[in-house]
Amino acid sequence: MELIEVRNLTKRYGSLKALDKVDLKIPEGRIIGLLGKNGAGKSTLMRCILGFLKFDGEIDIMGERVNHHKESIHNLIAFIPDVSSLDDRLTVQQTIDYVASLNESWNAVTAGRLLSRSDLPLNQKVGNLSKGMKTKLYLLITLSIDVKILLLDEPTLGLDIVFRKEFFNTILGEYFDETKTIIISTHQVEEVEQILQDIIFIDEGKIILQEDIAELKNQYSLISVQSNRKEELEKLNPMLITHTLGKVNAIVGSDVQIEGAEYSRPSLSDLFVAKVGGSNE
Amino acid sequence: MNKFKTLIKKDWIISKKTLLMPFWITAGFYLLIILGIVIAYYKGDIQSNLFDFPVDSPINAISYIANLSVVGLPGLMSIIFIIMLMQGALNEDIRRNCELFHRSQPVSIWLRTGSKFYVGLLGNWIVLFLIALFTFIVVNIILATIHQFDFTTAISGMLQAFSAFVKTGLIIGSLTFFCSAIFKDKAFLKGLSILVAVHLLFLIFNNLFGWNLPLPLSYLMKLMIIDTEKNILVGIDEFEALNLIKNAWNSILFNWKTLYQVLFSGALFAGATLIYKNKEIK
Repeated sequence: MELIEVRNLTKRYGSLKALDKVDLKIPEGRIIGLLGKNGAGKSTLMRCILGFLKFDGEIDIMGERVNHHKESIHNLIAFIPDVSSLDDRLTVQQTIDYVASLNESWNAVTAGRLLSRSDLPLNQKVGNLSKGMKTKLYLLITLSIDVKILLLDEPTLGLDIVFRKEFFNTILGEYFDETKTIIISTHQVEEVEQILQDIIFIDEGKIILQEDIAELKNQYSLISVQSNRKEELEKLNPMLITHTLGKVNAIVGSDVQIEGAEYSRPSLSDLFVAKVGGSNE
Repeated sequence: MNKFKTLIKKDWIISKKTLLMPFWITAGFYLLIILGIVIAYYKGDIQSNLFDFPVDSPINAISYIANLSVVGLPGLMSIIFIIMLMQGALNEDIRRNCELFHRSQPVSIWLRTGSKFYVGLLGNWIVLFLIALFTFIVVNIILATIHQFDFTTAISGMLQAFSAFVKTGLIIGSLTFFCSAIFKDKAFLKGLSILVAVHLLFLIFNNLFGWNLPLPLSYLMKLMIIDTEKNILVGIDEFEALNLIKNAWNSILFNWKTLYQVLFSGALFAGATLIYKNKEIK
């Protein structure tokens, strides 16, 4: 079953095309990574899905057409943008009470469990919390709402590695099951690579690729040879050539064989650079 | 209804400081007066005839005018604080980068704007009423000690002044609320500048071409001012005073203009909400 269907989605900011005829189907029960360079259209795509931006084209969320912002959408989708978007003027307790009262599907048991595990100071103003604490609060209020889709837009930006790991572990442990879908837009693809099932590459407002990660990786191999055998690799017309200490690596089709080479599966960031080009993010 | 209560609670929490400011200013004002009296008392400078009125003064009129006047300062303060609150009503969350968080809650935009409108106006009116009530008690204790106090006319004076400021606040507040949906900051000043510019432009056109374009500021002033039938400060007798006080209720509250003011305010609220609803959140 498709939870989100996007057809011919185009978004312009003046003369700039932020999204260009995007077609997308987001199935149920998947963890999907949305990968693109800065300004590729990741955030714009998420904001269009939520109806925060005006656009041309069609978006259906669980059969409901979205052509402008509808509050009912938030009964189906929870959204975590950059964690500094919480309201600094409220205390932690007031923020929890506020979200709990507005969301009919608020799960007090989950909230209580997440709260007891965190060391959130309930009477402290959100503005006085560290970024890590804000992340915990955002997770608590988002994961305590029973929704089908979770959109994460660069949620761990500016967080240290401990909080980033904790963030994704909490999401997997507390939220995900086979009836729910998570879409994660992030720059730190290496950190989420292990939890992602599908990947979407977006570049210059266009969807370059949408595929099951396991299938994608099966299509390609990362071949490593000594630096002096670079010409051999180049003859294979590889998607990407990179250099490591004393070695040359190339992404090629999985059926390509070279004598004496080391074979491994390419990483998502390698595949992204190979498909999209530009610097390795 | 529960969602609306939650929104009101949230808006009260974030507006509390501004809403309660008039209390502190009034308290400071009274403290200064008390301090002045105490110093004057110890210096022997207190004039014993400060509040003396001629024996034949109409008690009704004095009670009325005294109570009508003392609401003036808190009333003006209330208008200023309405402007302060309302000009950030629909843009403060965007400026503070928390608009996405609030918009991501499953709650109608109309409820959200309604709550901000309600807290900004009603909150200020409640504060104004409490200050006016306190001032009423203080002033009338003084008047009663010098035998110039009549409860009915005194409370009428206070309530009529309060009602007049409520209505002025309604128009200015709604206008500022509307501006906050358009401008990201300094909404009142920007809105007022545009109104002044349009006013001057229309004035020039009217004079140059003999046109009869409606002047926005004149229209707004007309909408806000109270049409009193007679200047109550002019010497009047007891009977005239009672009649004027009675008639003043009609001029201030019970007339078609009040309905028109409420409709005008409602239209500005609806317009502001529609503009806000259609704003893109980047």
